[in-house]
Amino acid sequence: MNALLKKEMRLSALLLTYLFIGFGVMTLVPGYPILCGTFFITLGIFQSFQSAREANDIVFSALLPIAKRDVVKGKYQFAALIELAGFAVMAVLTLVRMTVLADAVIYRQNALMNANLFFLGCVLLIFGLFNAIFLGGFLKTAYKLGKYFVIFIAVCFVVIFLAEAAHHVPGLGALNAFGFDHIGLQLLTLLAGAAAFVALTFLSYNKACKDFERIDL
Amino acid sequence: MNIVELSGVCKTYPAFRLDHVSFSLEAGKITGFIGRNGAGKTTTIKSMLNLVHPDSGEITYFGLPFSEHEMEIKQRIGYSTGTVSWYPRKPIREIVSVTKTFYPSWDEEAYRNYLELFGLDEAKKPIELSEGMKVKFNLLLALSHRAEVLILDEPTSGLDPFSRDELLELFMTLKEHGVTILFSTHITSDIEKCADDLVYISNGTIQAACSKQEFLKQYSEPDETLEEVFLRLEKEARA
Repeated sequence: MNALLKKEMRLSALLLTYLFIGFGVMTLVPGYPILCGTFFITLGIFQSFQSAREANDIVFSALLPIAKRDVVKGKYQFAALIELAGFAVMAVLTLVRMTVLADAVIYRQNALMNANLFFLGCVLLIFGLFNAIFLGGFLKTAYKLGKYFVIFIAVCFVVIFLAEAAHHVPGLGALNAFGFDHIGLQLLTLLAGAAAFVALTFLSYNKACKDFERIDL
Repeated sequence: MNIVELSGVCKTYPAFRLDHVSFSLEAGKITGFIGRNGAGKTTTIKSMLNLVHPDSGEITYFGLPFSEHEMEIKQRIGYSTGTVSWYPRKPIREIVSVTKTFYPSWDEEAYRNYLELFGLDEAKKPIELSEGMKVKFNLLLALSHRAEVLILDEPTSGLDPFSRDELLELFMTLKEHGVTILFSTHITSDIEKCADDLVYISNGTIQAACSKQEFLKQYSEPDETLEEVFLRLEKEARA
């Protein structure tokens, strides 16, 4: 682990952020919009950013013997680490629901989204949107947090609503596949989510580096 | 030999302009950077550290442009700013243990010595420190990686007279070890006590950048102290 990520984890992060990874367990909650677990994980990351801002973390980091753009790198690395940890929890529990619990009545009788690979693709899409909207927005100024988090909340819940309801649209029922049914489609949606995560994170990271370089601290 | 050079640094804000700031720091000397509040000292220092982007001008350290050698130069310089608290709720021990991983030149023995000299307790958090002790903590971080150049923004503000005197004595000891120091202040007695050179800034413009003796020779009137000279020059500038 590099020094920058260690600094983020030990000085900038709140314990709360690590605890909020546990919201990935919401994947197992029956009759609940399980994609909301993703939002709570991003809320945990937001809390760390808010606390770090009050601790003069950005200026402290910019004074370390690193290039100014590396401050941005540290922030993205930290957010991605938490997101991927949350994703790992959700992926394991999704696999449990797809195999051992594939026929559990409690999950079969569910008007909302089922835990499958399409769900995991949506999780990655939401994390990508968080990186693009919140991280990219915050690093334009290094102090404005609220505005970009509110925008992210709005976008996030539109995505959650659409994803949770998608399988009720005629012709899209296969998105709610149980177990390994429609596995080709499931894999495709997971890959699309992963591609969106990578693209949104990478593009916003590059833009944030340029934005951050220009601002006065 | 000039170890730091600023040449024509300009920065315009809606209500303030740093206007073609140029001066240099000579190796192994202490330079006092003086000016009233709002004169442009902090903006100049932030420009020297890439925290503020000058609109124009060039800043070099050790003959290298800062913009192209940022990481290398930051390894060799130390910075401290008055009473700003880094991570107010983290123990000093934790902040230091993370910070030192960025500096291959971190000197643990020097760190322990300064910790003792400043009377700092590693178990304390910055929020538990007085304003003066916060200054000392910031200095501790700047001094413990064998920096060749120290850039200190108002290091004596908030310190009691004894601590201030100790700090200025420390500057002179560091100078004997070849460390170049720039410290901003609005306390003229700090400059009288330990500065070799001074840079005087007023309303964003450098008014003088020379040795203390040359400054007195050029600007003082008979029997005027350094403080009286600055007060008169400021009054004349505002008239």
